Amino acid sequence: MTAKFRLILFSLLLLTVIAVPVIAQDGSTVTLISTQFNVVEEAEKFRGVLSGFEGGTVEFVPSEEGPMLDLVRAEAQSGSGVNDVIGALHGTYPTLANEDLLFDLTDLLATIEADYDVSDAYVELGRMGTEDYQYYVPWMQATYTMAASNEALQYLPEGADVNTLTWEQLAAWAKNMFDATGEAKLGFPVAGLFHRFLQGYFFPSFTGGMVTRFNSPEAAEAFTFLRDELWPYVNPQSISYEFMNEPLLSGEVLVAFDHVARLKPAFDERPADFIAFPAPIGPAGRGFMPVVAGLAVPFTSADPEAAQALISYMLSPEAQSAVLTELGFYPVISGVDMSGLSEGAAKQAAAVTAQATSEDSIVALLPIGLGSRGGELNQIFRDAFTRIVIDGGDIQTALDEQAAILQTLLDETGAPCWAPDPVSEGACQLESGM
Amino acid sequence: MRLRRRVESCFFMKRNRWIPYLLLLPSVIYLALFFLYPMTQAVQLAFTREGQFLNLRAEPNDTAVSTGALLLQTEVRIVERSEQQETLASGAQRPVFWYRVQAEDESGATVEGWVSIRNVFIENRRTSETARVTSGEALREFSLVHVNRMFTDFRFDDALWTTVLLIILIIPAQFVLAIIMALVLQSQPRFSTLFLYVYAIPLGLSDLVAGILWFAIFTQRGFLNSLLVNAGVLDLPFIFIQAGHLGWMIMIIVLAEIWRATSIVMVIIVSGLQAIPRDYLEAGEVFGASLWQRLWHIILPLLKPSLQVALILRTILAFQVFAIVIAITGGDIMTVLANETFRWYDPARFNNPNMAATYSVFIMLISLGVSLFYLRAVRSQEEAVQTT
Repeated sequence: MTAKFRLILFSLLLLTVIAVPVIAQDGSTVTLISTQFNVVEEAEKFRGVLSGFEGGTVEFVPSEEGPMLDLVRAEAQSGSGVNDVIGALHGTYPTLANEDLLFDLTDLLATIEADYDVSDAYVELGRMGTEDYQYYVPWMQATYTMAASNEALQYLPEGADVNTLTWEQLAAWAKNMFDATGEAKLGFPVAGLFHRFLQGYFFPSFTGGMVTRFNSPEAAEAFTFLRDELWPYVNPQSISYEFMNEPLLSGEVLVAFDHVARLKPAFDERPADFIAFPAPIGPAGRGFMPVVAGLAVPFTSADPEAAQALISYMLSPEAQSAVLTELGFYPVISGVDMSGLSEGAAKQAAAVTAQATSEDSIVALLPIGLGSRGGELNQIFRDAFTRIVIDGGDIQTALDEQAAILQTLLDETGAPCWAPDPVSEGACQLESGM
Repeated sequence: MRLRRRVESCFFMKRNRWIPYLLLLPSVIYLALFFLYPMTQAVQLAFTREGQFLNLRAEPNDTAVSTGALLLQTEVRIVERSEQQETLASGAQRPVFWYRVQAEDESGATVEGWVSIRNVFIENRRTSETARVTSGEALREFSLVHVNRMFTDFRFDDALWTTVLLIILIIPAQFVLAIIMALVLQSQPRFSTLFLYVYAIPLGLSDLVAGILWFAIFTQRGFLNSLLVNAGVLDLPFIFIQAGHLGWMIMIIVLAEIWRATSIVMVIIVSGLQAIPRDYLEAGEVFGASLWQRLWHIILPLLKPSLQVALILRTILAFQVFAIVIAITGGDIMTVLANETFRWYDPARFNNPNMAATYSVFIMLISLGVSLFYLRAVRSQEEAVQTT
């Protein structure tokens, strides 16, 4: 009796040991490595979004950019890998594309576009300048906007409307706040993504371009304005601000510029206290920079089909809407239901839409042709700012010297001009003919 | 019997010769793998420039003989294309493209050969007539271009002098404090274990945490400003951390560093103190030496070896100070050497590993120089003790 019982028990155990992995294998596992949502709370929320995927379980691996690139390269060298899908910002892809590590997703995109309309501009970005190779499928987008505390609205200059604010009015607003409170209440994330402010907002709205008019008279005027009229009323502690939500919530600043995701915590915490509005308008228009993240499949994926199924899921209206409400990144497909947004998220979404659809908008994109040297572009813009506004150096000298470095970078990489600068044959050339 | 013993001892002698090396081997392997190898890589990155040439191949594969070389950014004409399907581990197919291209090389001669898609930018893989060379082979050449760029970089001077200034301000203060703390512990007052635990708390924190903590104290709406404003000392919060206030920012960093890293010095000094024989101190007391005299003539001279160890450790670490500076000042306006290394390396910032390596080699050389200086100082101290 006991012997028989033991035998049954033993066979049951044996069966579980053999059967469990088989059952687990049946619902396949797709591994998604991503440079986005690599903060613990974001990762948890995003795992919630991924649990809606029906084609198997998704292993979400948040990573920094550098380690992710190294990992994908290492897998390519060994010939096999565990990462099935890559999620990263547009700026990460040139390296992967140049080294020919990614599947062409043209067919996948066609099947997705049969159901939903994916933003054409971003689809083109995903081709990295080629005609016939879709390196990544656009995944989600974000941008940078302004945000203000309700308290600041009383200081808004007469006749100014936040939705059609000019740079002069912003400066006057900041001055009013300074005069009334004795403190500089406008804030910029100088320790954070400030270079995007310079590249995508400041330069385009004053000069109409990002790089070709880098040391033009308009750029010099813009820096005179920034140094003399705006910066005196910018909170000096801006140099240590990385995310603007904290100084906004603490009241250190009342008006701020930052990435929507970095303003989001303020809107989540006290939605009634803040308003979001588009970036100011300059002499040339309203420069703004969309941020695009994409999904790609490396050649070393163990299961390319499951990987593509996951990408299709991520572009479905349900997933796009969940990413927006949970994580503050905007859809890249049209027709996503936005009615269920919370008060704060709805405010931010309205500002993003207003900025993108405004008539005088100048869309400033991230460069494609710089490849892995895109970071040096950030440095050039930041250095110009530091030399002029912080160190008080001569404007034209600083701009000319930085322009020479910029032209060398463009020549060495052969990068053609990108929006908003006019298209060029061959390497982009600065107007000053450096 | 005798012979056997001799044989045995001989055998042991033989084995003994190798045992020390065998025992050393794991650490040697460890050092070689995780220190020597990255170090040589860094030196190589700092002093070389990536190859600027793309080799054309006689056949569409990487190992075929070279038929010529092209500069980067050269426009090439596509004469022939090869598309092959490679079966991947997953069973899927990937297309592998090679192009036979024609172009003028540096000397103006027309060269022809095969290139991989990895090395050219091509608009349409199957129909484009032209392409552009975008990458070459890892043909490294010795170059001082990165070194020159580092020394002429407008941030270099700031970074170097801020680092040096921090070392000058932090280290002496830390040593004075650490010696006092160690002496307090050594005298074993009541609750001395409590003191030890309180002193040791910062040891358990990362420097980034320490930086954030001190940032929270000195920020515009921080603890200090709230206190001063609420007490009526200030009408408006004082902004310590801003571009014009280099002195304040340095003071905050110094405070944070002293708070965080003094206890490690203390631990080393405590162990040094415990090694001092009590007889010496008692003898001093018998001859009527005051506390100050005992400290100056007995304790400090005998403590010198531990002080030197702590000094080397602290100075090397001070050259690497980084997270505290980032947390407190943002690391963009005020910078230190280690911060430059990180900024140049970071793909989201300057993304230039060569420059990052140049900075790190520079830090390594300074640290090495300082350590050698301290080591020489140690030796001369010991010799001085022996001769007197």
